[in-house]
Amino acid sequence: MKSFNGPKVGGLLVALTLVFAACGSDDSSSSGSGSSTGISASELVQETDNALIEDAVDGYRAYIGEQIAAMQAETAIFADAIRAGDAEAAAAAYPISRRPWERIEPIAGLIEDIDGAVDAREDDFDGPMDPTFTGWHKLEYFLWEAGDLSEAGPFADQLEADLQTFADALPGLELPPGVLTVGAQELIEEVAAPDGKLSGEEDRYSGTDLYDFKANVEGAEALIELLTPALESADHDLLDAIEASFDELNNQLAQFGSFADGYVHYDEVTEDQRSELAAALGELAESLSMLNGTLGLE
Amino acid sequence: MEDNSEKPKGISRRKFLGAAGAAGAAAATAGFAWPLLKNESTYSASSNESLGYNFRGKHQAGVTAPRMPAGLVAGLDVRVDDKRELEQLFVRLSESIELLMSGARYEDRSGGFPPADTGLNDRADGYVPPWVVLSVGDSLFDSRFGLASLKPRELQPMPKFNNDYMVKPATSHGDLSVAIGGVTHESVIHGFRQLMRSVRGSVIPKWTRSGFNSIRPDIKPGIAPGRNLMGFKDGTANPDPQSDSSMNEIVWVQPNDLQPEWALGGTYLAVRVIRMMVEFWDRTRLNEQEELIGRSRDSGAPLGMKKETDEPRFTSFESHIARANPRTSGSEENLMLRNGFNYADGLDGNDQMDQGLVFLSYQRSLEKGFITVQRRLDGEALEEYIRPLGGGFFFVLPGPGQGSDPLGASLLA
Ligand code: HEM
Repeated sequence: MKSFNGPKVGGLLVALTLVFAACGSDDSSSSGSGSSTGISASELVQETDNALIEDAVDGYRAYIGEQIAAMQAETAIFADAIRAGDAEAAAAAYPISRRPWERIEPIAGLIEDIDGAVDAREDDFDGPMDPTFTGWHKLEYFLWEAGDLSEAGPFADQLEADLQTFADALPGLELPPGVLTVGAQELIEEVAAPDGKLSGEEDRYSGTDLYDFKANVEGAEALIELLTPALESADHDLLDAIEASFDELNNQLAQFGSFADGYVHYDEVTEDQRSELAAALGELAESLSMLNGTLGLE
Repeated sequence: MEDNSEKPKGISRRKFLGAAGAAGAAAATAGFAWPLLKNESTYSASSNESLGYNFRGKHQAGVTAPRMPAGLVAGLDVRVDDKRELEQLFVRLSESIELLMSGARYEDRSGGFPPADTGLNDRADGYVPPWVVLSVGDSLFDSRFGLASLKPRELQPMPKFNNDYMVKPATSHGDLSVAIGGVTHESVIHGFRQLMRSVRGSVIPKWTRSGFNSIRPDIKPGIAPGRNLMGFKDGTANPDPQSDSSMNEIVWVQPNDLQPEWALGGTYLAVRVIRMMVEFWDRTRLNEQEELIGRSRDSGAPLGMKKETDEPRFTSFESHIARANPRTSGSEENLMLRNGFNYADGLDGNDQMDQGLVFLSYQRSLEKGFITVQRRLDGEALEEYIRPLGGGFFFVLPGPGQGSDPLGASLLA
């Protein structure tokens, strides 16, 4: 059995959603972990003899690589704008730079402290100006709340450095097969979590939650696409149900915009529309919860 | 119960001596003599090995169940596109309800799947399942499903009554409602969670309230099963749900009621979530409390009488019970079956306790029952101490019959 010895970041949500998380054995004490994001490696199913799933794991490694490259490129644009004091350009680049991160968000749990460094919220700190509060949301605060970028430069540097650490960790990263199924599930549970995108808690200063929302959905879709050959033989009805749920969710999201044209401020999403989104997410999450068992990842 | 026969697995081998014996065992497990379980007509062992309510029949069994230690009511909106999908939704709800009420075990799944059962209840001998009552709201009969002409004649959105200025749309109405009762909170919560997961995405839960009743062991007609959160006995003057003739008179829609035919065997449900200003109430003179209600707080006797079972004789018609049931000629037409529960949901934004009554009443005529009685209560002095917050009017679907029809079959036929 392969094992992964990295410390675990986050874990509350994982403990609630992971099949083997009987009583949340992992500690979520690592400092500043913002949104309880990520998978704990020890709780993933480590092995499979299904070659289709092994192929999917390889495909996912490539996908992560692409996303990290995009993340660094898009974050460079964001960080440059921050350092240049160009608030308008920075605001435009902010939600774009987060997309690759949101697509592979559950992976963050496999790399030490990364989530706490780049994606924590002010709630984990002594207020937003706490110097140990770093990452995208710190910069989001400077941009939308403080309206002053004069002290933001070092945090932009830090974000880029932390993402480099993330990129450097990738080659040595073990990806057990359970990461695929739990990852897809996790991305959707994360959207619906009470402190997630649906509640508008994630990007509370900028209201750009829909970008993260869409990116989470894309990340889950990418995983299902990779798992499609395995699912086609294991349970075609489940695959159909999952695809129908993605269509439904994407149709709903399309009424609020697109990456190309921009998404509306999350405040403009009405209670009724949030209910509709919650219902579609719920239906999808029920199907995704059947993945592990269906694919023999016990 | 052919739907469930394949599913139950691993039921304990303990044999019961029929329903009554099973009932006794369940009651002992539940820690008190549980009256309903002695009554084979509403509560039957679905096999010698597990207890269950009879889902099949002319009426939904939960309506006439005695008051339960735990209850929940929810307003739900449906999220399906057409009548065919609505039919499928009713099938899924019915399967889920039948399985729940049967007390049978859920399928076993391997550990790679989420368990089919929430696991909230120990399934040792004597597990008592919850009952579920499924109802439809006025909005289900709008243009979406082509059901407008089939709407029960008196079904309507709940109007604003005199004291209703805190009633909010967000906590009112729904295309559907479910009411759930059980001997433990866990069994009720299990029921609601199982139900919702079986229709996730097709149903949006709009609002819920859950709560509790303390039930005295020797429950019988004329004696309140427990007290409400004003400290008064509640349910004293309720009709006897075990009496078929009373229920046909007061609760079940009858052939000559000019309902659409599909509605026979159903009943109107009025739900009112009514907050009590409990801090204020606890500062109110006992004499005033008793005059407001019209009964002695401790004994439950009508004012001026000795025993709870004494028939009130009114000299004035100001008290809650005199307004609710003046016992004048013709007022017997306004009777209803009340079967609600108390709730306590933490504090409001002003540090005051959000506690009160989840009032549920079932009646054959909404107009003659709840609406007439509430109009008579409008302006009662008790209003100073209570604030309705939400609820709604619904029509309880007729029972699914003995065959294999789902709930709602007669409506969607
Ligand atoms: C928080 C609100 C309420 C409180 C505290 C309350 C309390 C009581 C109490 C203590 C009794 C006497 C015991 C009994 O017979 O159960 C009673 C009786 C009754 N209540 Fe209420 N009640 C409330 C709301 C309502 C509402 C909304 C209705 C219907 C519109 C209603 C209808 C009745 C009826 C029909 C009786 C029986 C009267 C009789 O036949 O003597 N109550 N209530």
